[in-house]
Amino acid sequence: MIAITADNLSLTYRVRQKLTLRPPAARPPQQTGGTISGSGRHRFVQALEGVSFTLEAGDRLGLIGGNGAGKTTLLKLLYGIYAPTGGRLAIAGKVDALFNIALGFRAEATGRRNIALRGLINGWTPDEIAGRMEDIIAFSELGDFIDLPFRSYSQGMAARLAFATATSFEPEILLMDEWIGAGDAAFQKKAAERMQEMADKAGIIVLASHNPELIRKTCNRVLELKGGRVERFGGIDLLEDAEAPAGGKRKAG
Amino acid sequence: MLAIVAHAVEDLLRGIRMRRVWMALAAEDIGDQHKRTTLGPLWLLLNYLAFAGTFIFIFDRGGGGGQGYGVFVATGLLVFFYITEVMTSSVTLFAREESFIKGTTLPLSVYVMRAALQAMIRAGYALIGCLAILAATGTWPALPWLASVAGIILILAVTPAVVTCCAFLGVFFPDSQYIVSNLMRVMMFMSPVFWRASDGMTGLQAAFYYYNPFTWFLDIVRQPIVEGTMPWGAFGLCLGIGAGLWVLALVLLGAFRRQVALVL
Repeated sequence: MIAITADNLSLTYRVRQKLTLRPPAARPPQQTGGTISGSGRHRFVQALEGVSFTLEAGDRLGLIGGNGAGKTTLLKLLYGIYAPTGGRLAIAGKVDALFNIALGFRAEATGRRNIALRGLINGWTPDEIAGRMEDIIAFSELGDFIDLPFRSYSQGMAARLAFATATSFEPEILLMDEWIGAGDAAFQKKAAERMQEMADKAGIIVLASHNPELIRKTCNRVLELKGGRVERFGGIDLLEDAEAPAGGKRKAG
Repeated sequence: MLAIVAHAVEDLLRGIRMRRVWMALAAEDIGDQHKRTTLGPLWLLLNYLAFAGTFIFIFDRGGGGGQGYGVFVATGLLVFFYITEVMTSSVTLFAREESFIKGTTLPLSVYVMRAALQAMIRAGYALIGCLAILAATGTWPALPWLASVAGIILILAVTPAVVTCCAFLGVFFPDSQYIVSNLMRVMMFMSPVFWRASDGMTGLQAAFYYYNPFTWFLDIVRQPIVEGTMPWGAFGLCLGIGAGLWVLALVLLGAFRRQVALVL
């Protein structure tokens, strides 16, 4: 049974003031979302507050909201990078994420070695790596380049390899910070099909995006965050309301 | 407290289960650092030989360093270089791994073990150089060397704890990277790496010798080779320091591991 239950989730952390000789007025502002409380060395960021929702198998949740609303923070909390400081999070099913697909690729290693390393980081066994290797190479269309160092690849080749490796699994729960694509027009079409295939197979999808068209096409539920709090949560029709808050159409930013 | 230690142990066990990851990454790291050089990682051996050779040549001219000075310096440098590398590189460990820590759910112990193994591989090359110097000075393996092996094993066993403590220090107090590197430069001369303890030692020199943990870690490897005796006292002290460091490392790992991604 694949499910996510978030009950009154919150994430609060202390802003650590770094030692500096700059006068207080000249210190750079803290780059963070959510709301900040306190002052001096006792400042706290309330990144998420009272976030509750339930998702079951078949749900595709679109996370929307402005920059700093808490979308990425919520995704990282669902993935397990952050731990909630309040509330309860229950997840049934294996969670996979597509955040930074090029993470960990090494310039000096060959494409083949990079696939193996990335597989190890993803928690694949050597047998799983060997089993997926040829599929990944074929999908990336790198041919003989696969045995050359990663640094010799063009940007498009590197992106194709990263995409092919990152999407070579069947997720139960898939978290995405924006939809991903790669390569030239022909490969983008192939990548879009792969992404759609993954999305169709996944039990639950949580997709953070600023693109309402993408959310409308992919998701059946919407959760809007504002300042770390849930503004609205419901069916996809909420997206229309979110786009036209005060009598006028709002463009996604 | 038990819950904190349980979290740390859970992280460590996950790290051990993912040993293929840190073993592969540590080997890649060493390879990458010397990828475009002709001699590759052999530079690690040459670096050690150049440094140790210079010191032995300068301080032992005309037998000024005393009997067995070459062996004394070669073994002392081997241990001190290792400790220095472990401490200075670990202070920036989590900052270097920021994108991984913020983008994956790998346990922190994976990064700790990757750094520890990298330092061990580097020390392996220095060990070859050290053995070459011992052979050149006519010092050949003997039974007391087993005690040195035990000392090396103890130092290696404490390494992940030191890496963990230094890495957390670097996260919450970033300036510590400069403090630690300067401290280690100073400690190289304040610790008995090049100079020996003498009977009439008093004042600051005696204090630097007796109240300096590095002295004891140097002794557990060096004394059996240089003097052919087992430094029981130093071994017991190092065992105690190592246990203390492991307790501290487990507490830090258990209590703060989930905060690292937020603080970086």
